[in-house]
Amino acid sequence: MTAVSGTSEKVTRRAVQLEANFERIAYLGMRMSGIVLLVLAVGHMMIQHVLNSSTNLTIQFVAEQWRSWGWKSYDMLLLIFAFSHGINGLRNVLSDYIHNDKIMKGINVFLAVFLVVTILWAGFAIARFDPAAIQ
Amino acid sequence: MQVQLRIRRFNPEKDEKPWWGEYTLDNVNPNDSVLDLLHRVKWEIDGTLTLRRSCAHGVCGSDAMRINGANALACKTLVARLIKEGATQARIQVEPILGLPVVKDLVVDMEPFFEHYKSVKPYFINNSPPPENGRERLQSPEDRARYDDTTKCILCAACTTSCPSFWADGRYVGPAAIVQAHRFIFDSRDEGYAERLKVVGDTFGVWRCRTVFNCTNACPREIEVTKAIAEVKRALTTGKV
Repeated sequence: MTAVSGTSEKVTRRAVQLEANFERIAYLGMRMSGIVLLVLAVGHMMIQHVLNSSTNLTIQFVAEQWRSWGWKSYDMLLLIFAFSHGINGLRNVLSDYIHNDKIMKGINVFLAVFLVVTILWAGFAIARFDPAAIQ
Repeated sequence: MQVQLRIRRFNPEKDEKPWWGEYTLDNVNPNDSVLDLLHRVKWEIDGTLTLRRSCAHGVCGSDAMRINGANALACKTLVARLIKEGATQARIQVEPILGLPVVKDLVVDMEPFFEHYKSVKPYFINNSPPPENGRERLQSPEDRARYDDTTKCILCAACTTSCPSFWADGRYVGPAAIVQAHRFIFDSRDEGYAERLKVVGDTFGVWRCRTVFNCTNACPREIEVTKAIAEVKRALTTGKV
């Protein structure tokens, strides 16, 4: 590569009007959710398994955590970002190997419904969780 | 030294499926290229061996093949690079590049590769009138440097046929076509960047790249292919070229 001796002011920058494109949104979503998961997932592992011993990780421990809406929100965010990140990864892998457009469209619809239903179902379960019922 | 050369053979007129041809070559100099060994097989042992080559000096890009499991130009790959220092015997395996239909032995049909190449409009597009003084369209050295790396491509297909995404789905335009698109998208004199970004931003464009880096490793011209693909992805996500 030729060395660049001047300043960046000598570089021509141009703008381009981008069309709506699902693949671009999915690509950006994958990167953004990856960054968020670096904080949420690593933070979760540190708190649950390092700061607290794994041997103490019982349903009572989780119930105690879920007394606070802060912890419920943390876990719901983890659920949303991890699940959507994973499902998009699965979509990418499947699209590499399934070349029939109709089948792939059907799989995409199934994955989208599965994603939304699971997040709503699990999110509802976390939100409505009653710690008192565990005692 | 002695080399056991294992070559993937296939003659569609005779063979039902590909097979391995084993050839023993004596008096091999470690400074011989793999192309030299293939020439010896063709000229001294089996004249039916079919391969594509032209300049034999790493410029024309005709003899890309899979050597010991990695894509390379046969003319630029020396035996010395494939053996341990001081070895007196070696085994070298040569196959056609993957992902393209085999025509015969080491020759593949390059048409699908060139179809992808053509799809990115790999030519200068500028509908503005040329400078009135009749001279060339000027650009700063900094603007020229932005696409310098991608001007080096010789279209050997080593990158595209080393890419697992291309193996999985031949509709992916592939690293070589994206490198060609990069060469023109980032040329400040070119006005076709929006058209090209539309092509490489398609479902079978840059998004199929999984950043495996096989293309960068395979490029005989040492083009930073994955970096070029990343720059195109950035242009597509930011809208800035």
